[in-house]
Amino acid sequence: MTLVALCRRHFSADFITNMSEFDFRQAQVALGFHIMWSAAKAVNFAHGDTLMLGAVLAVMGVDAGLPLSVACILAVVAGGVFGILLERFAVRPFATSATSIGWMLTTIAVGVMSEALATLQFGGFSRPLASPGVNNAVHILGAGVYPQELVIPVFAVLVMIGLKLMQRHTLIGRAMKAVAHDKRAAALMGINVNRIVAFSFGLASLLGAAAGVLVAPVIQVSATMGTLLGLKGFAVAIIGGITSAPGVVIVGLGFGIMEKFVEGYISTAAREIIGFGVMILVLLVFPQGLFGKREVLKV
Amino acid sequence: MKYLIPAGFAVFAAILIAVPLLASNEYELRLFMLFLIYGVIAVGLNVLVGLTGLVSLGQAGLFALGSYTGAIVATRIGFDIIASSIAAAIVSGIFGVLLAFPTVRVRGVYLAVVTIAFGIIVENVAIEWQSLTGGTTGLTSIPRPNVFGVRLSGFAFYGVLAVALFVITLLVHNLKTSRYGRTMLAVSQSETAARALGINPTALRTLAFVVASVTAGIAGTFYAFLNSYISPDIFTFSDSVRFLLMVILGGAGSTFGPIIGAYILTYMPEYLQQFQLWQKFAYGALLLLVMFALPRGILGTLHQMLKRLRPADPVPDVSEGLPAATTLRRDHNEVAAELVANSLTVRFGGLTALSKASLRVKGGEIHALIGPNGAGKSTFVNTISGFYQADEGQFELDGIPLTGRRSLDIARLGLARTFQNTELFGELSVLENVMAGYDQRLSYRMLDALLRTPRMRREELECRRTAIGLLEFVGLSKYANEEARFLPFGLQRRLEIARALASRPKLLLLDEPAAGLTTQEIDELEEMVRRIAALGISILLIEHHVDLIMALADNVTVLDYGQVIASDSPAVIQNDPRVIEAYFGTSPIHGEIAEAGV
Repeated sequence: MTLVALCRRHFSADFITNMSEFDFRQAQVALGFHIMWSAAKAVNFAHGDTLMLGAVLAVMGVDAGLPLSVACILAVVAGGVFGILLERFAVRPFATSATSIGWMLTTIAVGVMSEALATLQFGGFSRPLASPGVNNAVHILGAGVYPQELVIPVFAVLVMIGLKLMQRHTLIGRAMKAVAHDKRAAALMGINVNRIVAFSFGLASLLGAAAGVLVAPVIQVSATMGTLLGLKGFAVAIIGGITSAPGVVIVGLGFGIMEKFVEGYISTAAREIIGFGVMILVLLVFPQGLFGKREVLKV
Repeated sequence: MKYLIPAGFAVFAAILIAVPLLASNEYELRLFMLFLIYGVIAVGLNVLVGLTGLVSLGQAGLFALGSYTGAIVATRIGFDIIASSIAAAIVSGIFGVLLAFPTVRVRGVYLAVVTIAFGIIVENVAIEWQSLTGGTTGLTSIPRPNVFGVRLSGFAFYGVLAVALFVITLLVHNLKTSRYGRTMLAVSQSETAARALGINPTALRTLAFVVASVTAGIAGTFYAFLNSYISPDIFTFSDSVRFLLMVILGGAGSTFGPIIGAYILTYMPEYLQQFQLWQKFAYGALLLLVMFALPRGILGTLHQMLKRLRPADPVPDVSEGLPAATTLRRDHNEVAAELVANSLTVRFGGLTALSKASLRVKGGEIHALIGPNGAGKSTFVNTISGFYQADEGQFELDGIPLTGRRSLDIARLGLARTFQNTELFGELSVLENVMAGYDQRLSYRMLDALLRTPRMRREELECRRTAIGLLEFVGLSKYANEEARFLPFGLQRRLEIARALASRPKLLLLDEPAAGLTTQEIDELEEMVRRIAALGISILLIEHHVDLIMALADNVTVLDYGQVIASDSPAVIQNDPRVIEAYFGTSPIHGEIAEAGV
């Protein structure tokens, strides 16, 4: 690419508007991974698909004639139920085995199946969800932004703060920390470990579906949008250090900004190369992620 | 069971010869050739999944890497199929090392995620680097397969693929049944125990990943020649999942399982095509079904059924074994085996677990380390066996400084240990556990293992006979073929001792060997420890059981609050007021005051 072309691309009005559309969905997905990991030491590998489910169900609900708000709420609730069922039937049977192959593959399998089902029901094409949040653009520093676009990063930060508060001040939050630390000891203290783990999966999926509903108006909703999103979310979670909620959110937001720049200056393919390349490099230098805690080996 | 594997190879060869003769049209043969290529990937991936228990979800990326490398050197430089495959094997092997080395140290899930990332990177580099890869349109006009400039006919190309799969299967089988396969399995079951035996988990996992990478690379080149066209969209994440499914469906860890898995998953899409959109769903459902109904895969499940039906393999004859007295005894000139620890200090955050602790185990003696709970005994043991790093102080064995060395290096220098909570390789047989302990004494290398050279066979036989002798030494001969995890606790303890002895240590460190044993078992243990000491092996015994210590120990060191409070012969220690205070809390005089106060 010549310099002139690069400059033209950089300064085109179109590009500047695009700059505001940072993709912050990974932050939300990564936060979901964090929630599941911090209770279960296992995750739904296809967590990206819960975002997809939320978005697709909301669009389908509106199609079916439901009011927007009802369709959205139903989609979010369905996401939460999906998470609980997934934990019960795909993760729990394999939670005790020494290797992680079991739950990794079963959740991938469920992801593949839900994507296939969604494609069958929703069709192979993509469309947005009609929403009041995209009717009028707000101007910030000269760039046009739909209110809806600001919702996701704000939502991610709010969830993170809420999560921190919950872990500090509520019984269930502390129970989650205890279970994450040592399942057997937590069980001996009278904590219902299975219920806590199920709760964490339900919560992660509920929030995932909610994020899906929130982005549905600004992106093109499709049945296949989940896979790459989920993988990127996991990458973000690992870079941030999967044990740290703030770390995950900070990296997620930063990742979204970096992606947009790379995409704008080079190409979409380069975006993926650099994004995942960064992940591998971070793992090399900081095996526990940027903000994660080191785990002590006990003999 | 002995003839099952050779029979399997014979049947496999017969099938490979029969198929081209029976194929009714070119399409059928082509599909079978595609299966052969997938088979190569699956067989290689099996080393990683089946032996080390790690998961790669980026095999499609390595497959693509090999495919592009092969295609590019073939079209640009004019390499033939053999040279192209070698180039592809080298390139994907290098990437395998680069990917595996940093990640396998951390945790299994990470390797999966890094490999996924790698797969996506390769896919996108293929799109982006247009001048080399042709971008999204891909590479066309890949030359027809040829060897040394001679063009191969369809059947000849088939021959190349069939021979390649057969040879790779055989080589992987040889690897599996050598020290490499045994230690890979050991590492997957207890990394800690493996390190304590001088086995290098990082090296083995990297090796397994490289095997999986190289085979995927070779398969990629074959694929490029078969298709004569490649593009980025052939190599996606779902292909990686499919390759992994091949291994698990067929039976991870089995020799022929991955081939069966590859066969099913090559032909299944052909039948599923009529269902169109449901095809993907069915594929996910199959994965789920395998995980629940056949977690050991087809061959793994069959093998279990067979085991139940047939009488167990006879235990190896005791006479086959080499007596422990000859295999363990060291030359009298070299017997010294003196462990000297000099003011070791270990801190965990603000807590000082060990404070300037010094200890000397003289060559050939039985030295006991005692102390109340929390005195720092375990910290001491874990420090001198290299699992914890000392903040201050040094320790050495026979004058060789050990401070700062890795646990596996310390093990190789002659310090073997057992664990408080037994750390056996649960799914290996009792005999294999001991053979894994022998590993550092084997000197044959990779090539010997792949080709089963006379040197490899000789050393393996020696290893096996020594292990049989050691099982007799600890009285486990009749359990040789049992899986270690099914042994009762007392026998697991003994097995751990036999396994530690297999490395022919200078010093044996027994970490609370009597804990949880019955009185009779403790008597047997006492007698066994004496026999070990009689072989000239120094013993450091960490124990609570006072009778055992008094009966066995030449010298006793007492730890309390991380400090050595006494070190002397058992008789002296028994009457040492500080020791009594450490164990019973207060000296008699203090006790009287306390009573008076009440």
